[in-house]
Amino acid sequence: MPGSDAPPFRDRFIAGVGAYAPLLRLNRTAAAKALKFSGLGGRATGFRALAGWDEDALTQAVEAARLAPGRPDNVVFASTSAPFLERSHATLVVDALALAPHTRTNDVAGSRRCAVSAVLDALLGRGETLVAAGEKRPGRAGGALHLAYGDGGAAARVSDRGAARLVGYASLSHDLVDVYASREHPDPYAYEERFVRETGVARVVAPTIKSALANAGLEPSAIRHAAVHEPIAGSWRDIARATGIEAPNLASDLTQSLGDLGAAHALFAFAACCARAKPGEHVLLASFGSGCDALVFEITGPMPGADQAAAALRTGLASDDYIRFLSLSGALELDWGVRSEFEQKAQATVLERYGRDMIGFIGGRDAGGNVQFPKSRIPVRPDADGPEPWQDVRLADELATIVSITADRLNYTPDPPFWFGLAQFDNGARVMMEFTDADARGFSVGDRVRMRLRVKSRDTRRGFRTYFWKAAPEQRPSLEG
Amino acid sequence: MASGIKDKVAIVGMGCTPFGEHWDKGPDDLMVDAFEEALADAKISRKQIQAAWMGNALDDINVGNSALPLAHALRLKGVPVSRVENMCATGSEALRAAVYAVAAGAVDFALALGVEKLKDTGYGGLPLRTKGLANDLWLPYGSAPGSFAQLAGAYGARHGIAQADLKRAMAHVSWKSHQNAVTNPRAHLRKAVDVETILKAPMIADPLGLFDCCGVSDGAACAIVTTPDIARGLGVANPVTVKAVQLSASHGWEMQYGAWDGSYVPNTRAAAKRAYEEAGVKDPRADISLTEVHDCFSITELVTMEDLGLADEGRAPFDILDRCFDRDGAQPCQIDGGLKCFGHPVGASGLRMAFEVYSQLLGRAGARQLKQVDLGLTHNLGGAPFNSVAAVSLFGRLN
Repeated sequence: MPGSDAPPFRDRFIAGVGAYAPLLRLNRTAAAKALKFSGLGGRATGFRALAGWDEDALTQAVEAARLAPGRPDNVVFASTSAPFLERSHATLVVDALALAPHTRTNDVAGSRRCAVSAVLDALLGRGETLVAAGEKRPGRAGGALHLAYGDGGAAARVSDRGAARLVGYASLSHDLVDVYASREHPDPYAYEERFVRETGVARVVAPTIKSALANAGLEPSAIRHAAVHEPIAGSWRDIARATGIEAPNLASDLTQSLGDLGAAHALFAFAACCARAKPGEHVLLASFGSGCDALVFEITGPMPGADQAAAALRTGLASDDYIRFLSLSGALELDWGVRSEFEQKAQATVLERYGRDMIGFIGGRDAGGNVQFPKSRIPVRPDADGPEPWQDVRLADELATIVSITADRLNYTPDPPFWFGLAQFDNGARVMMEFTDADARGFSVGDRVRMRLRVKSRDTRRGFRTYFWKAAPEQRPSLEG
Repeated sequence: MASGIKDKVAIVGMGCTPFGEHWDKGPDDLMVDAFEEALADAKISRKQIQAAWMGNALDDINVGNSALPLAHALRLKGVPVSRVENMCATGSEALRAAVYAVAAGAVDFALALGVEKLKDTGYGGLPLRTKGLANDLWLPYGSAPGSFAQLAGAYGARHGIAQADLKRAMAHVSWKSHQNAVTNPRAHLRKAVDVETILKAPMIADPLGLFDCCGVSDGAACAIVTTPDIARGLGVANPVTVKAVQLSASHGWEMQYGAWDGSYVPNTRAAAKRAYEEAGVKDPRADISLTEVHDCFSITELVTMEDLGLADEGRAPFDILDRCFDRDGAQPCQIDGGLKCFGHPVGASGLRMAFEVYSQLLGRAGARQLKQVDLGLTHNLGGAPFNSVAAVSLFGRLN
């Protein structure tokens, strides 16, 4: 039995969770309608979470991690669709969350199991670790995976104290090639579903879960909530039958409401489970991909971030626009015209001087108490008369009110219109900035907004991108009508 | 104690090309056309030009950096030439430099020339360029209409004016300029447009529709300035003189410090106040005969009327609809069609405004000549309402 002889471990906890889903949810029925002539696209039920053009695996991981507060010693970024092959995303997470620069960092990838594997490593290790996962996997129009997948992020913070205590685990390493992506073939390539379902359940997931239960000394009936990443959507029934677990699997629900979130999937479902679980109940977290990690937790108290994670499933904006989906997901390259050709090269020297204040949204409080962004040698405060010392002030978690705003339809943006305007922060700062996540109402003077980390510029010629914060509606619309 | 420049400098020659889509002319052609007209007007030779300032805002659009393109095009041998750039206020900036040179007694004749060749971009609107600067890491890549459109929402919120009502006043602004441009042979857009067409035009940046936006044009304009004494020596008995040239630039206050509500342009107010003081204008509504303001967008002209003190705060939409700024109104504005219809070759626009005031003061404006013109104002605005350079100048006759 895989991992059943796992060595003893000391009490370690998940102390906070986070989950993030992008605003848009593509109705798969609409996609099926658009693809009807071809018979392609896969299942025509449920919704697929669709990231904005300015979101990627990193931004979504950061948004999820913002819900799992803490001062970790170690940050792990997990994704199979990280935007950079060489540039540490975990380091960018540290900067985006304005964590201490001595925080250790590590990026993990290789399979969609990587985030849970990192959580397990952290649980078996020491100190406080934040695991932040995000996915925005590419796909080709018409491919079943393109619609089965979703975009999103999830996070978990591991510590010596917390709300979910690890009581058992098991791991299995197994190179079952269900899906792969490679440098030569960046879009995920999938093999036959029946093969994956039957082999994945029988030889990978079910045995690992059984081992974890054995390791925890629990009967299957003790599991009240499951966050098990299915090898193929709909295979939970087979897993439950094979393991004897009767609990509902929130990870299965997630594939219907958001899609398969890859590295973020199981952690997202776990966060949602924590919103439901009561102290004393057990939760199963299991991931799949080149093997399986299964972890059993006992809930010991309210989980920070869990309610927000659950709420993320209830808000969003449904969309029937298949062409917009193709464009935003990179499956369709539209001709945006000459205005889209402008140069967006970022300079490394400039990033070195200002980049951390940008991705961390760090302004400053001057000697007179005024908060300003960005900082400057001489403050903008009218009575300032020379250089002053600054105290850093992070604006990312501040709310703001719109002073002026427009929907610019002239300038190029991959998802028109280009909203930008002046935001007055409650702490006194004011910033001319871009806006994002507009709902059907758009933005107006006086609206309240919150900050979201987004891609600021994409240098498609050189494959580089910069990040900054954008103002989004304080509240998202409800999906429940 | 500074005494200002009122009546210290005379304009003895001006030139202005037709603005528009000059597919067959390069920037050198435009510069030569404007300059030769000004030289003929001034009745001096090119060798008498002792210093020159070239205004060009977007050097990467087929003009080139430095002032050498001007020195080459005009063959100004050994003359000190400088390029100035202050976004859309560039033309006024060039004039300011030349005026100051004469006022300082440094030279007898100075040239200010603005030129822009925008139609070599290959598309409509102004080009968008980022250079990997620190600001590119956070400032939005907003368009000019997007930047100015924000005045509308903020203005409506401040004064409790519904956007539909504001939009109708804005439409009248554009309607008026189209009417005025019909009689101007140098204007880019010489076609009258009815209000309903303006209101129904495609949206560019909410709430600015196509007709709320000025033309994007090629063109050049220039002025030759000298002292009033020399002007008289050239046979100009009562020359056009500069009464004031003032400029105010943002230092970050609007978009970094929480006091501005986004509904007006603070620099226009600051520059106007100083210009009125310099020129001795006590009551701008009574003293100023006509205005050429920076109507890059209809909403800009609307708030500028208040910023210049030509309308009470919150009243500009009503005054506009009451036709106060129409050709036959109390305060004619954009009698030449303005940026809206004369066109907006960025670096030339400030000098084009001066050209119209100069022409009106000399009674040379042809079909659009106003009856009584004693003092004209130009308002040239660069940047965006939240980060601007505003130039306000006044021109009249020496006596």
